[in-house]
Amino acid sequence: MRTLASQERRFALALLVPALLVLLLTTTTPLVYLVWNSLHRLDLGMPWLSGFAGLENYVRMGGDPRFWNSLWLTVVYTGSTVVLQVLIGLSLALLVLQIPKGQGVLRVAAILPIVLAPVVVGLFWRTLVLAPDFGLVDVASRALGLGSHNWLGDPQLALISVIAIHTWQWTPFAFLVLLATLATLPPDIYEAARLDRAGAWQRFFHITLPLVRPAIVMVIILRMMTALSAFAAIFAATGGGPGSATEILNLYAYRTSFTELNLGYGSSLAVVLMAITLAISFLMFRLRRAR
Amino acid sequence: MTRLGRVRLEGVVKRHGTFTALHGIDLDIAPGEFFALLGPSGSGKTTTLRILAGLEEVDEGRVLLDDADVTHREPGERDVAMVFQSYALYPHMTVEQNIAFPLKMIGTAAGDTAAAVRDAAARVGIGHLLARRPGQLSGGQQQRCALARAIVRKPRLFLLDEPLSNLDAKLRLETRAELRKLQRSLGITAVYVTHDQEEAMTVADRMAVFMEGRIVQIGTPKEIFLAPANATVAAFIGTPAMNLLPAQLADGRVQVHGASLPVAGHGGERRAVTLGIRPGDLQLAGEGDGIDARVEFIEDLGDNVIINFEVQGQRLKSRRDRAQGLAEGQQVRLSFEPAAAHLFDSASGERLPTTA
Amino acid sequence: MTPGAGTPGRRLRALVLWLVAGLLLAVWAFPVLWGLLTSFKTERDVLAYPPTVVFSPTLDNYREVIFGGSSILPNLWSSFVVSTAATLLTMLFAVPAAYALARLRYPAKRASGFYILATQMLPPVGLIIPYYLVLQRIGGLDTYSGLTAIYLTFSLPFAIWLMVSYFEDIPMEMEEAALLDRAGRLRTLWYVILPQVRGGIAVTTIFVFLNAWNEFLFAVVLGGNNVRPVTVAMFNFISVEQTQWARLAAGAMLAMAPVILIGLAAQRHIVKGLTVGAVKGGGRR
Repeated sequence: MRTLASQERRFALALLVPALLVLLLTTTTPLVYLVWNSLHRLDLGMPWLSGFAGLENYVRMGGDPRFWNSLWLTVVYTGSTVVLQVLIGLSLALLVLQIPKGQGVLRVAAILPIVLAPVVVGLFWRTLVLAPDFGLVDVASRALGLGSHNWLGDPQLALISVIAIHTWQWTPFAFLVLLATLATLPPDIYEAARLDRAGAWQRFFHITLPLVRPAIVMVIILRMMTALSAFAAIFAATGGGPGSATEILNLYAYRTSFTELNLGYGSSLAVVLMAITLAISFLMFRLRRAR
Repeated sequence: MTRLGRVRLEGVVKRHGTFTALHGIDLDIAPGEFFALLGPSGSGKTTTLRILAGLEEVDEGRVLLDDADVTHREPGERDVAMVFQSYALYPHMTVEQNIAFPLKMIGTAAGDTAAAVRDAAARVGIGHLLARRPGQLSGGQQQRCALARAIVRKPRLFLLDEPLSNLDAKLRLETRAELRKLQRSLGITAVYVTHDQEEAMTVADRMAVFMEGRIVQIGTPKEIFLAPANATVAAFIGTPAMNLLPAQLADGRVQVHGASLPVAGHGGERRAVTLGIRPGDLQLAGEGDGIDARVEFIEDLGDNVIINFEVQGQRLKSRRDRAQGLAEGQQVRLSFEPAAAHLFDSASGERLPTTA
Repeated sequence: MTPGAGTPGRRLRALVLWLVAGLLLAVWAFPVLWGLLTSFKTERDVLAYPPTVVFSPTLDNYREVIFGGSSILPNLWSSFVVSTAATLLTMLFAVPAAYALARLRYPAKRASGFYILATQMLPPVGLIIPYYLVLQRIGGLDTYSGLTAIYLTFSLPFAIWLMVSYFEDIPMEMEEAALLDRAGRLRTLWYVILPQVRGGIAVTTIFVFLNAWNEFLFAVVLGGNNVRPVTVAMFNFISVEQTQWARLAAGAMLAMAPVILIGLAAQRHIVKGLTVGAVKGGGRR
């Protein structure tokens, strides 16, 4: 008769089950429903066609150039924003580490982009920063003699613009986390390294980088998750356009479901996005644990 | 319901997966006794303490407090108090609130609580710190706060888990004596875990020596010091540790490292033994036979001296009042009083009983 | 590694560092400050080129956005109700669950931990389609309860995950000491453990509230005319024919004011929370 353990068990379950139930209801059940939908033809614009369709949506996806385009854009978007955030964030953290007095003000400045709603950030950039003629960037480019451009309307520039927006908003996160991590590194190992005649670059490579690596990995994982599900900022800035120039998989699924009202196909797109996200996060956590 | 504080463990076995932490522990502690559980790290003494507290479950065996089987009772239902190694003070409460907490939990009236808290705090000497928080106290003060919290509800059993290990050396010695005095004045049974054998020797009425999940000897500190049950216990008790040498016993003498020396009380037998000589009993040989040794180095501790000898690759220690003209590198011959020899069976390590 | 006084090399280095810092400040703070500036301009001033920093400010935009026809007050109210309700509910469920996950033993513990982590990985766009269909069927679209319930989806796993790391910071002996003091499990949690994670609860609450306030996708798809949080209301100022730049700026300033104020007031907490969440990580479950 093990009353001690069973009491603890009952208590634990009483605390945990409500949250689990909520999650089950709000995530797992809809997920099942989503997969179910993806196996159907469900087009609100052509309701007479509705019915079970098996893997038809997925097959169609395979031959859909817009899908592959969105997949490609997702890869480019996620890859470039995460890499930029880490590179810029780390460099800035290293630099700022050396001016302890400035850190307070910079922390305040870094908080601002993070707390803003992504949709507002998108709108800001669309209207005040990237608008032709009076937007900040356009003013600057004209002043530098690079001329005025349609930063969001030109298919080539649009992707770069949305990448810039996302990077602007989330680099402070990487910056703050890495700055905090760097600040916890013990100074004596650097002193030892200096006595061992290690130069600045060597100290960075052999001491700083390995010690900061766990934090960097965690930042990469978290930022990847955000980039894969990024929606509001792009929606606000370009809506996915011009055409499909900034239509990452996220947006493609949304547009298909709610603009074109083809919920069946939209569901299948969403399922694919989910599968990709789960696969990547699983991989990343495995990698992290292996370290 | 008598609350005397008698503690018994019967055949307690504790396993962690495939590893057995305790191999059947039997203890009988009398009410009011200050009982030490002594042993190296990982020997099972802390596990035993936590089983008494009810913080760990047993796989086999029984725990009895005052003849009641409490093996499966919740920690809170056993009327047991514990002082943790880290003190486990509630950091967000003042000292007063910390000490009052156990009384608050059993619904004691506010007036009675305040009085009891003041009394407990005064007993341990922190009556002036009641309004402070643990974070504002020194290590020694925190320890006393933990003590006060333990004694405030007059439990029937005190458990102390290496309570002095976080204090600096001098404070440790002072607190040791105070703990003893406190326990005496309260008359509450105390079970005290430590790996420091000197500590156990000075505070305990009786102690149990733990090795690898088993109790190898129970007795008063004096008994254990004078007659350790086996070679491992012998090596563990005493500072510096007992010198142990391989030897051959025959006809009342031992052959050890080329010397033949008499031992008392072991006539007639012949066997391979481990010879144990305490540093205080290791002397220079007079005219008789002696073990050839070289003085390795001398540690002068002020009021006594420890001389390290090297004998065929093994280091022996001797403790005496002064170095008496010995210098490093000197060759000497070592001997001992026949009655001071401890003999243990070479294979089992068990003590050989003395005859006569 | 302080820039020492004296040597010109050091001085130059300090100067460069300060320049970089200044640049950072500009890049990160400027858009918001520019938005603030714009909100006081007339539409004509906004479109002027070169952009004017000196102009005669007007409160018309704010007047219109607060009291006028394009008032976003009802939207602020929607945001407030939904965010607050969602935050309270989230914390109510998350804190006990996180404690169980962090400190108690029960069957299938690793599985449940992994499950909670996995639910956080689900991209929202995958969930809104079923949400939309279900809510539509039960008449939950465009209602406060519907939206609040759905907001729990992304708040709950995140809050649990964050609180778990705070609970893990408390030494194990706290519960043991309290149990020996006859507190029982519930009272131990209430009297001993929770007071020690007060800071963590505050940080988590802030983050949950911020996330809820800033939510857009769920708000736009599952809200409607009755319940339209402020993030959606931003689009009121943008139509096919024209964009009301200055009014948009004013509206956005108002919409973001709570969030910015919280961010500035609690910045130390927020930075700590970010690092706790990132460095401790969820990979240990």
